[in-house]
Amino acid sequence: MFRPVNLFRLVLVALSFGVTGILVLAIGSFFVVADWTEVGRNLLDPTLLASLRLSLWTAATSALLVMLCALPIGLALSRYAFRGRGLVKAVVDLPVAFPELVLGLCLLLCFGKTPVGKWLAAVGLPLVFTKQGVVAAQFFTALPYAIRIMKSTYDFIDPRLEFVSRSLGYSSLQTFWNVTLPMAKSGLVAAGVISFARCLGTFGTVLILAGGSAGKTDTLPIHLYLNISYGNLSLAMTSGMVLIVVAFAAIFLFEKTEARL
Amino acid sequence: MSFLEIRGLSKDLGEFSLKEVDLDLETGTYLAVIGPTGAGKTILLECLVGFYLPEAGHILLEGEDITRCRPEHRHIGIVYQDFALLPHMDVRRNIGYGLRRRLRGEALETRVREMAEVLRIDHLLHRAPGTLSGGEKQRVALARSLIVKPRLLLMDEPFSALDPRTRRKLRRLLRRVIKETGTTVIHVTHDLDDVWSLADEVAFLRHGQLVQSGTVQEVMRRPRRRCVADFLGINLFHGQVRDQRDGICRIQAGEMELFSTDRAQPGEEVRVAIRPEQVILAERCEGPVSTRNILLCNVVDIFPENGVYLVELERRGAHLSAVVTYDALQDLGLAPGSAVTALIKSTHVAIVG
Repeated sequence: MFRPVNLFRLVLVALSFGVTGILVLAIGSFFVVADWTEVGRNLLDPTLLASLRLSLWTAATSALLVMLCALPIGLALSRYAFRGRGLVKAVVDLPVAFPELVLGLCLLLCFGKTPVGKWLAAVGLPLVFTKQGVVAAQFFTALPYAIRIMKSTYDFIDPRLEFVSRSLGYSSLQTFWNVTLPMAKSGLVAAGVISFARCLGTFGTVLILAGGSAGKTDTLPIHLYLNISYGNLSLAMTSGMVLIVVAFAAIFLFEKTEARL
Repeated sequence: MSFLEIRGLSKDLGEFSLKEVDLDLETGTYLAVIGPTGAGKTILLECLVGFYLPEAGHILLEGEDITRCRPEHRHIGIVYQDFALLPHMDVRRNIGYGLRRRLRGEALETRVREMAEVLRIDHLLHRAPGTLSGGEKQRVALARSLIVKPRLLLMDEPFSALDPRTRRKLRRLLRRVIKETGTTVIHVTHDLDDVWSLADEVAFLRHGQLVQSGTVQEVMRRPRRRCVADFLGINLFHGQVRDQRDGICRIQAGEMELFSTDRAQPGEEVRVAIRPEQVILAERCEGPVSTRNILLCNVVDIFPENGVYLVELERRGAHLSAVVTYDALQDLGLAPGSAVTALIKSTHVAIVG
């Protein structure tokens, strides 16, 4: 049967294919241009492996810390009307709009020049030009995204389900554990994966706060950047490929988990 | 001391509010709270269950001041219009949710099964809430609230999302279960059938204020305020008692003269309520009849309502509603503008103060 052409639909679909096509081309160019013998050799490069290890554990640690904070902050912003709620929301959201380098500079000044940083250094947690600094930089970069996801997830959960749980004898915390958290698990996984991916890819903030020193605080994005600046394009490309593969694996894992939730 | 005492309860949520509500309820009473949309009915329930802290006033349950008590310590159950079943738990776990704090294993399963049998949902225990019909969901929500034996059960329009047949079936079931368990209930509704079928007492709220409360017969037959009468669809007239002779009061209500068997003092200003279904219409009235109120009226409008017809009549500037069946409408040949005689027995003319 003849179906009239829906021009609006056609434009939307064409636009979707056009933009994703450019993205696929950009990502694919990594793999098309690459010399695979060199890539194989680079994958065993000790500096790259050290960067990969550093990236994975710092991103995992930061993502965990991000989720531990995003869960309660998202809930507070979603459920409670408190004085200064708007301010908290705006401040928490600020890093989303900040360039990473500016955020990094802010953190560097805070942890390097203020009593807070001095106190942290005194208690054995120096954040400037250290591995802990990498975690701090990733944490503050990814936190707003996780809070936003968790807040919208909680917003979609009918508060009356929590009311009913309270009326049946459960405290706020028990209700959160029994009702809110199980219902928010899809958002929880999404926030976790996006936080991990965001932490893994953090560059500017880490570079400024943690210093990006080779063999110490060079996460994969910094490893990539340093090798480009040394003129070692092949090793830089391999770092980029590893980052793409890890990001894809995280997204794939998320899709699989989400389907089961 | 009443089972539940509400004194001067006030809460302002902007669009909705409660203003100095006073209410008393005895154990085992079924109270229906009625009123127009935005009257503050749901806030009243949510203040009672503890989701809102009132700005003023007190709630005493069995003598205990629970005004500032946390919801989990009040032992008050709530059933919502859209059921509020926990979607990540099956029916068995939903029903047993409140008991899981105290019971586990076989003891919990036995109690859940017993309650499910009472509400005839024992065949649904393994099902997910999303796969149930509206009536089944509502029975699960009821079972979940009743299994913990709440001191007070609150229901917020529990039948409004159901079809009429399911609603009738559930009303019968609820009536039986509530009587058997002796639960004290506050039921918010817009449906007057809920009031007639289930309630012992009625409270009417408007703009956050309690306008009238009393037994079903008192409120539904003798509304004291215009807003209550309008909500219930009852004719209400202001008048003055002219005299009282042989047990019958003669009341002048505007240009209308009405007779009532209720007692009042001559000269007293009164309000008179007449239910529309107690107004009999005749083409004309010839010869003596046993009805004292015979009013020659004009038909202003006719419109269908709940399977019958509401005929709006006018007599010398006063308006009166009557209910007739389709057959009566045809037999009388009623149409806007036609003349008709309204007959009302003086026993059906209620002086409401």
